[in-house]
Amino acid sequence: MSLPPQTDWRASIERRLTGTREFVDDTDPEALAAVLVSMGSLLAAFVGFLLASPWTAVPFGAFLIATGYGWARHQALVARAVTFAMTTVTLVTLGLIVVFIFAESVPAFRYETASAFGVSVPGLGMFTQARWDAVSDPVRYSLLPMIHGTVMVTAIATLVAAPLGVAAALFIAEIAPPRVRELVKPGIEVLAGIPSIVYGFIGFTVINPWASGAFALNGGSTYLFVGMVVGLMALPTVVSVAEDALTSVPDVMKNGSLALGATDWQSMTSITLPAAFSGVSAAVLLGVGRAIGETMAATVMLAGIPRISEPLVNVFYGYETLTSLIARGYGSANGVHESALFAAGVVLFVTVLCLSVGSQYIEARMRRRLGGVE
Amino acid sequence: MSRATQTALVRDDRTLYEAAAGTAVGLAGVAFAAGLAALLGVVAIDDPVVGFELSVVFGAVLLALGVAVVGFGMASRLGYVDAAPQPSAGIVAAAAFTGIWVAVGAIVSGAVGLGTGGRLGVGVVSGGIAFAATALPREDIGSTVPAGTVTVLCGLSLVTGVVGPGWEQVLVGYNATLFGDTVVPAIVLFASLVSGWSAAKAYGGFGARGRNVGAYVLIYLVVCSILAVLVGLVAFVTVKGLPGLFNGFGVGSAALISWPFLTNGAGLLADIAGVFPALVGTVWLVIGAVLFAVPTGVGAAVFLSEYAEQGRFTAAVEVATNGLWSTPSIVFGLFGAAFLIPRFGNQKSLIAGMLTLGFMLLPLVLITSREAILAVPDEYRDASAALGVSKWQTIRSVVLPAAIPGVTTGVILGVGRIAGETAPILLTMGGGVLPAKSAAPDVLGSFQLSASPPFVSNPALLEATSALPYQLYALITAGLSGNIQNPQEYAWGLALTLLLVVLAFYAIGIATRYYFRRKLHQ
Repeated sequence: MSLPPQTDWRASIERRLTGTREFVDDTDPEALAAVLVSMGSLLAAFVGFLLASPWTAVPFGAFLIATGYGWARHQALVARAVTFAMTTVTLVTLGLIVVFIFAESVPAFRYETASAFGVSVPGLGMFTQARWDAVSDPVRYSLLPMIHGTVMVTAIATLVAAPLGVAAALFIAEIAPPRVRELVKPGIEVLAGIPSIVYGFIGFTVINPWASGAFALNGGSTYLFVGMVVGLMALPTVVSVAEDALTSVPDVMKNGSLALGATDWQSMTSITLPAAFSGVSAAVLLGVGRAIGETMAATVMLAGIPRISEPLVNVFYGYETLTSLIARGYGSANGVHESALFAAGVVLFVTVLCLSVGSQYIEARMRRRLGGVE
Repeated sequence: MSRATQTALVRDDRTLYEAAAGTAVGLAGVAFAAGLAALLGVVAIDDPVVGFELSVVFGAVLLALGVAVVGFGMASRLGYVDAAPQPSAGIVAAAAFTGIWVAVGAIVSGAVGLGTGGRLGVGVVSGGIAFAATALPREDIGSTVPAGTVTVLCGLSLVTGVVGPGWEQVLVGYNATLFGDTVVPAIVLFASLVSGWSAAKAYGGFGARGRNVGAYVLIYLVVCSILAVLVGLVAFVTVKGLPGLFNGFGVGSAALISWPFLTNGAGLLADIAGVFPALVGTVWLVIGAVLFAVPTGVGAAVFLSEYAEQGRFTAAVEVATNGLWSTPSIVFGLFGAAFLIPRFGNQKSLIAGMLTLGFMLLPLVLITSREAILAVPDEYRDASAALGVSKWQTIRSVVLPAAIPGVTTGVILGVGRIAGETAPILLTMGGGVLPAKSAAPDVLGSFQLSASPPFVSNPALLEATSALPYQLYALITAGLSGNIQNPQEYAWGLALTLLLVVLAFYAIGIATRYYFRRKLHQ
């Protein structure tokens, strides 16, 4: 049973080898040398940089010289090699992010080892108790208060961004006359451009004092208004992705419905929205991801005390989210404390990456279905 | 035959009904706007309007709206007007009204003084009645009576003064108090929304057309409020920031234009504190990020769309790119702090900030460039290939020039996005709260050659540098105080400067898109 795949594998390697051999035979040896020197020195420079070697400049210089020479003499081949190297940068970056933030978070996970069913699991202590205190004994690094804060803010933000975002996307994609669309679409793009620290600044100087008076609170930090502000910031993401999904529904489908005498709204709810459902839910997922990762508004508007609000759903008090914990604590922290901030980063990164991959999977499925393959 | 006359295209007897329903929609719209104004504190709910307190007037309006909405439904049900209702209002409306009436029942019974169990019971019973009243009767009753009664109830509570100015309710356990000042506007907003939707349905004569009108009213409202928030935000920051931005601004003195806020630092020597070092920092930050990300992103896009065969490698790159796009900015900051800082002199530095933002910009550039390159029609490539032009020559002189509009737009919008980022540079670049003018980085002037590795060095790149968004954050954490004359005014001026820088990128990006699109369609 295992033979066919193995032979396939072997055959494919052989095919590759012959292909490479032919390529080497066909190519000008000088061009080949230039490309090899350029790519080799780039790799050496990367390794040198990773090792923090002061000699990194030497292979990097060699890369520049070899590439420059190759560019002048054998542009086509060098261009292909250089663009390939550039393509790997995204993969390498993602890999480096994973390696570095995980590596930095190891001490915190070790410190918070707890045993479950007689097996000691590193990092479990971050989720089984609720004390975060980096200064006074007992020093514990629970992420639960911050996870609670992130969940509260994200839930409120989603309640704001999802319905408003989908409605606005419907408007832009289906309802608006062309002239109005040319006004609304850039408007929503501009909304995405307002820096988060400006939102935070308005929240800190205007919303927090107002909320403090309007609800007679101790201090003005509330998950309610942080969530609303973050929802406003996640809105453009939802709108643009959902709008792409709605416009990608073929016009013939909508026209068929309209030709049967359905109203615009009937066509939207029974044809366009169901057909684009995956895309629209991917948009909401990406919006949720943005809300989870939003940092500055939360940092500036929240109280900065790692505590779980009482009762759990008390939206009138806001303490800390995963993002604001990192932004506030980094720099003054060191040792295990700093490592615990990286652990918070790991939780954020993994959550958002899962959301991103999930939404890509949903979108790919929708494209296949609309393409008529499935 | 009788059916044909019923659904005639011209129905004279409905004009009065339509006019009444249209007026109700308009009234609900006015009530919504006024409620918003009251919530924002533009008007107070105890302001006298035609001899009554505003909250009583609100109540009267809601009462009228509620009665009108029920009347529309009755008129249609009893056959006085010629509408086209469906057998039921539908499951979505039923679910919505069930939810609303569960809440209403619980709140009212709580106000009467029932305990948790009683509130739950009353809520469930009223929710059940609302469900039956919405789902079971014909659409014209189902979508008006539950909406109308809830509006009447809201109106009654305001007219009778059960809820009004001076009303307050302590939320036990939450350590918070609800006051009439916020609750009355909230009631008005909610009730005008519900009754406005119901009146809009009546205006459309229920049925498919009525639902169309009802949904459109809600969607237009959503879009208008989003745009209002946008305009309000920008206007607010502008009004608050102008005094700081133009502090000491003058034309025609020693220099042609003197603009101390943009050309001064915040040191002791400056009589008017300015943001020059942070502005220069932001400019260099953007330049550095663009120099790293744009060639890399465009090159990768070329390889992915022109050279690579669609397979695992391209799929992996695509997943990685989208993953990087959605990675939170603070995680990029952590990465920069763990990866770049130890490799550039072990301290926060300009170049670490540049590269971190470059990593963030890379996926944006890659995604938009790839879309732009894929949008170039294959005919261009085929025509070029038919002339015997090599692949690389085709890419260089046919594909890339055709893709430049899309790439440019994407890059400019991406730059606008990263120019306002705070979290990554907070962890990697740092800088002072109120830097003096001498703290502005002089990158071009400080390249140095040396005989020992790394042979080229640039101290300006290796120093902690301030940038506009970081300085704003630092000012906020310093409690908006500092060794300058008017820190509040200074901070708002700084916020406006940052907003203008970012919006300028967006304006240029959007204008570029229009310019190229019009050129394309000529």
